[in-house]
Amino acid sequence: MVTEVIPKSFSRFSSPIGCKPFYLLALLSILLVLTLILSLTLGSVAIPLKDLSQVLLGQGSHTVDKTVILDIRLPRALAAAFGGAALAVSGLLLQIFFRNPIVDPYVLGVSSGATLVVALLMLTGFSLGMGSVSPFLVTLAALIGALGVVVLVMAIANRVKSVVTLLVIGLMIGYLCSAVVNILMTFAEKENLHNFILWTLGSFSGFDWREVEILAPVGGVLLAAAYLLSKPLNALLLGEDYAQSMGVKIKKLRRGTVLISSALTALVTAFAGPVAFIGLASPHLARLILGTSDNKILIPATILLGATVTTLCDLLARISFSPVELPISAITSLLGAPIVISLLMKRRTSL
Amino acid sequence: MSIVQTKELAVGYEGRTVVGQINLEALKGQFICLLGPNGSGKSTIIRTLSGLLRPLGGSVFLKGEHLYTIQPQDLAKTMAVVLTERLSPGLIKVFDLVAMGRYPYTGFFGRLTGKDAGKVWEALSLVGAGKLAGRYFNELSDGEKQKVLMARALVQEPEVLILDEPTSHLDLKHRLEVMAILRRLTQKKGITVILSLHEVDMALKSCELVILVKNGKILAYGPPEEILGDERVAELYDIDCANFSNCLGGIELRNGGGAGVFVLAGGGSGALVYRLLNKQGFSLSTGVIPENDIDYHVGQALGATVISEKPFEEISKSSLNRAVFASTQAAYILDAGFPVGTQNKRNLDLVKQVLAQGRTIYSLRNPKEIRLLFGEGKGQWVFCPTTGALLSQLKIEEGQRQGKNASTSAAVVVG
Repeated sequence: MVTEVIPKSFSRFSSPIGCKPFYLLALLSILLVLTLILSLTLGSVAIPLKDLSQVLLGQGSHTVDKTVILDIRLPRALAAAFGGAALAVSGLLLQIFFRNPIVDPYVLGVSSGATLVVALLMLTGFSLGMGSVSPFLVTLAALIGALGVVVLVMAIANRVKSVVTLLVIGLMIGYLCSAVVNILMTFAEKENLHNFILWTLGSFSGFDWREVEILAPVGGVLLAAAYLLSKPLNALLLGEDYAQSMGVKIKKLRRGTVLISSALTALVTAFAGPVAFIGLASPHLARLILGTSDNKILIPATILLGATVTTLCDLLARISFSPVELPISAITSLLGAPIVISLLMKRRTSL
Repeated sequence: MSIVQTKELAVGYEGRTVVGQINLEALKGQFICLLGPNGSGKSTIIRTLSGLLRPLGGSVFLKGEHLYTIQPQDLAKTMAVVLTERLSPGLIKVFDLVAMGRYPYTGFFGRLTGKDAGKVWEALSLVGAGKLAGRYFNELSDGEKQKVLMARALVQEPEVLILDEPTSHLDLKHRLEVMAILRRLTQKKGITVILSLHEVDMALKSCELVILVKNGKILAYGPPEEILGDERVAELYDIDCANFSNCLGGIELRNGGGAGVFVLAGGGSGALVYRLLNKQGFSLSTGVIPENDIDYHVGQALGATVISEKPFEEISKSSLNRAVFASTQAAYILDAGFPVGTQNKRNLDLVKQVLAQGRTIYSLRNPKEIRLLFGEGKGQWVFCPTTGALLSQLKIEEGQRQGKNASTSAAVVVG
């Protein structure tokens, strides 16, 4: 009979991770707020902190600053924050779902669908007679494309047994879409092509309140929904069989996960185009910083990190070569990849 | 009371039946083991019994209820599983992984109450893994991982525990520990344990019932002492290079085919010598050994010619004669240093007759004892202090003998 004496000091905590994650989450929140403030003050017109606080509190009479902050920078910063959070959580959900650490939000072909419809709009005769394509139309086109793929993927997810099959099908949808896009690009006019390519690299520029008013609440609801899945998602870390044996309704969970993550991605892609890397890197950063895969902590941390990193990258895209704006995907990858690599090298475990 | 029962169950994948006509009944606290060769469908049965795979036909009842009508959450409170797939759950500490087993009991967000945490500690100490609680699961050894996974299953507070090959990948120590823990669960907690195993000897020594699976059907079902006969095991695994011995509880590899060695043994002196020689490919004969002797069983399992005598009887004349004949057939004669008593004292006559024929005896006995028992043998004894020395001696002789054979046959060709 093996009986073990457990040290008393140990049995006192309910869990070996204790309460440390709470402080880390608070720290990340502070970091996010600082980044937001930074992105409101910096830019082609630098606005001192004092003026910023007055504008935000509705005091003083800084009419120019007021316009710059309230109408341009604040919606943009909020859009970047929400967009980043959405992509990051979408990536996290899919990484757990596919049990694969190099999955990003676009593996199911959501962005490819959006890109395809946007390409149809921007590169073909649909826009003839309209001169330049209005941003609203582009958003609508991207949304149609993204949601179209979401519906398709959901229909397939209900039918296939293995998630790996779903993954491969998602990749194939991506290839099909980009094949069509490539054909369209071959015959496209130069100027249209340039605009289209810039769109495919993503940008949060030109966000106004109307768009934020859609992005923020819908994104917020989806993020909350993702958090509600944290218990079954934790069980899923042990694989579908174990999860099922513990009472997880696998089919429901599968549908929920795919729906939430693709909807999040579709939402961001519609407004900002495909933004690379955030969805892949933020979950890793969160895991490595917190040292846990527990989704109850990981989902909030991923939201905060995704928001912070994206706001920061958007700021850099805006100011580093001002007045020329860099595509945000370039910044996210340039900045994010080395950080992830260095963090991974320090720790032995992945995912 | 029957906990798990199957009626005319057929299991398999997508219309392809792997095993059919399964009729089993598991009672409370029983320790049941599925045995069978790779690919016989053990895992398929395990997966079906645990509700992960739908049966192709027939039905499974858990405490009288149809398994597939039970709500997943209720099922999880009655039945827990330990699977073979290798887990890489990411950055999870052992405590948290085990705590996941509280899934059916915790609320919407899975927050652990004090009672839940208590159950986790209880399960961890039950499998002797309390010290691992703060470690990352990924950093554990295979044996530790298996114990942690068993603890995870136990915090579900199941009445039935189903395990798919829980001892594969484990070293001997952990294998024994795992089986000891499972046996304790059945005895102390009344949990019904159903598992699949590879090791016949492990099944024989720890399980109450075994189910033999082969060629898409249940070959036999019952207590291992009754149904794990020597031939049945050979049939189960299509073994022809080894023998299973029920009373030894293990497998002996058969080799043979080489030069014949006659071993004078008994009282356990022969068992190790047989194995040693058998490994080197010598064909064995041995005698005269009573049938209640360990040497008898090991010799039989190794496929040796065993000249034997009935239990507790003195060695008869006829047995002696058979042994003398067998010894004349062998290329080498070996004395394993058997003890001499009233029942086997005719073996001394056997030695004398062998010596009379002018044969050399390789002996593991010490020279003094030989002088005492057999007097001065005119240089017919070769003393080997260890089995290693014996083996190298035999190999030298064997080399010379084969050399001689080769040269004589060459001479014939020349002639």
